[in-house]
Amino acid sequence: MPSVFDDIQFYLFNHHHYIDVPENADEYESVWVDLPNALFDPERGHELYQRFARELRLAEALGFDAIALNEHHSTHYSLMPATSVRAAYMVAQTERIKLMVAGVPVNLSWPSRVAEEYAMLDVMSGGRMEFGFPLGTGMEYWSNAAQLNPATSRARFREGLEVIKQAWTLPGPTRYDGEHFNYRYLNPIPRPLQKPHPKMYIVGSGSEETVALAVEFGTGYSIVFVPIRQQLKAFADFRRMSEEAGREVRPEDIVITNIVYVADTDADAVREAKPHIESFFSWFHRVPPRYLLPPGYVSTEEFLRRAQSTALAEGTKATWDDMVAIGRIACGSPDTVADLLSHWAEDAGTSRLLVTLSIGDMPEWKAVKNMTLFAEEVIPRIRARGSRAAEAEPVAAGARS
Amino acid sequence: MTAFTNRTLDVNGVETVVQIAGEGEPLLFLHGAGTITGFDSLLPLAERFRLIVPHHPGFGLSGDDPTVSRIEDLARHYLDVLDLLGVREVSLIGHSMGGWLASTLAIDSTDRIRRLVLAAPLGLRVPEHPTTDLFTIPNEELLEHLAADPSIFEGKVPDPPTPEFLAHSFRETTSAARLLWERPYDPRLPRWLHRLTMPTLLLWGDADRLIPVEQIDVWADLVPGAERRILPGVGHLLFDESAEAVAAAGDFVGEELTV
Repeated sequence: MPSVFDDIQFYLFNHHHYIDVPENADEYESVWVDLPNALFDPERGHELYQRFARELRLAEALGFDAIALNEHHSTHYSLMPATSVRAAYMVAQTERIKLMVAGVPVNLSWPSRVAEEYAMLDVMSGGRMEFGFPLGTGMEYWSNAAQLNPATSRARFREGLEVIKQAWTLPGPTRYDGEHFNYRYLNPIPRPLQKPHPKMYIVGSGSEETVALAVEFGTGYSIVFVPIRQQLKAFADFRRMSEEAGREVRPEDIVITNIVYVADTDADAVREAKPHIESFFSWFHRVPPRYLLPPGYVSTEEFLRRAQSTALAEGTKATWDDMVAIGRIACGSPDTVADLLSHWAEDAGTSRLLVTLSIGDMPEWKAVKNMTLFAEEVIPRIRARGSRAAEAEPVAAGARS
Repeated sequence: MTAFTNRTLDVNGVETVVQIAGEGEPLLFLHGAGTITGFDSLLPLAERFRLIVPHHPGFGLSGDDPTVSRIEDLARHYLDVLDLLGVREVSLIGHSMGGWLASTLAIDSTDRIRRLVLAAPLGLRVPEHPTTDLFTIPNEELLEHLAADPSIFEGKVPDPPTPEFLAHSFRETTSAARLLWERPYDPRLPRWLHRLTMPTLLLWGDADRLIPVEQIDVWADLVPGAERRILPGVGHLLFDESAEAVAAAGDFVGEELTV
């Protein structure tokens, strides 16, 4: 079995938060769906788009393997309700780095249109794209047309994926007759540049149903922010079910997301990062249960499980220790962070690490410092664990001192 | 007073619980988008009729049916239920979402429905007096929207709500969402309401915060010869709140029988 470190790749994941937390933050029950959009100042929005573009260009300069972007609606958590638009801008701003769009919830668009937009990006970028396909958070079903029924979202998602895969892999025009979608002439032009198609991941939150979908469609599996224990269970399910389906799961088929902050010492890192990571949970992640779980979005059994879990019910009141215990938060010196990420990668059997280095209300200087230290001090330490790297060059640890 | 006996029917594979009480002419009651208060308030009707109260698929004690996606699916489900019970002609009371369902069923089966009571029915789009969107009412404000008299929830709704109660409510809201998420009305319903030629009573509480009582005029214009009865100070769950509402429905259904 190949070491996960032989082809370890680092994806810089930038949420594009609208970083300003209002002074009267306590008065808002939700930062999603019904947050008054008067709080969004377009001039400030412009500055932030410019800032995050600087960070993403820096990612290429620093040697990250990929940029990851995702989509959310009606929230200060994300300024990318049209993530393909942002990806197109970044394609033009970069030359080498891969871009993962993870992505347009297929249900919020027409699957043919998703197939077309993504193929455009792949052709324009010269084949630098990867795509994650999410069901869409519960919140998206409140913020978008009510014609998208959360009670039938999974069935429609499944058909949408079928349409996209058919559009990308069968010579067109083809016909598709479904329960939710019908195409007389499914015939995307352009077709994607990468063969047979750009790398696809299905993005889930650990439910067996979504894992099964990834197995069935032969995609990778990527997981959003859920406790590590649940992530590992989902990956184990993914491996077991893939094996049963006669398919091997490779290290690049699994993606884990991590919140990381690097400083000279562990104490410095926690001191510098903590307030911003706390704002990520207390403000940007603030969402009441009714928006998180619209009717039919999960089964009644899953609803009951979540309603009984105080950790989830009280998410916004989580302490720092809770956060570190639940999530993949690596805050510390280069050695600490490299050890933790290496351990997580091995545990999950993955060679794809999504790292969020600019988080919550973090100012740009800290984000840039964090990215730079991560690229210069952490990436070499982790790469050095690969068998090929070990042969090629001496361990980079301590190179900075 | 008579009590309900529960029967469980297998309706095309969907376990359907039917509460039955009393003897006499059959009277089918179709409930709204929730069962939290139960149906004991209807039992006075069992003194005059054979009262039949099924739980919709995905509600109360009945099993789930994820294939339900339109109100017509439920209407046909109940034609099957009536066939299984050996009931040919029946009078019908529909409350709220059940009123929309009862109208739909009656439009397609005019010869089987003797008399019809539509109690605060859902189903029409009335832009001047819109129905409150059930899905956007926060949990903590739901009860005050459902009833003018909050005492009807005593002993039925735990305070604070338990996870089990919330899950029960989530299940019923999910089942309602299969029918109502896109829109809580059928734009084509007005096109067909002229077929409700059976004697029909429109019954409404004037303190209804979910479906405004003003909608009764629109129904009255569309349903030929419909009678109206408005109950002062009564909210949306009118049969729980008002014995007068139950009696009014019973008197209307029984009218012809006593002549």
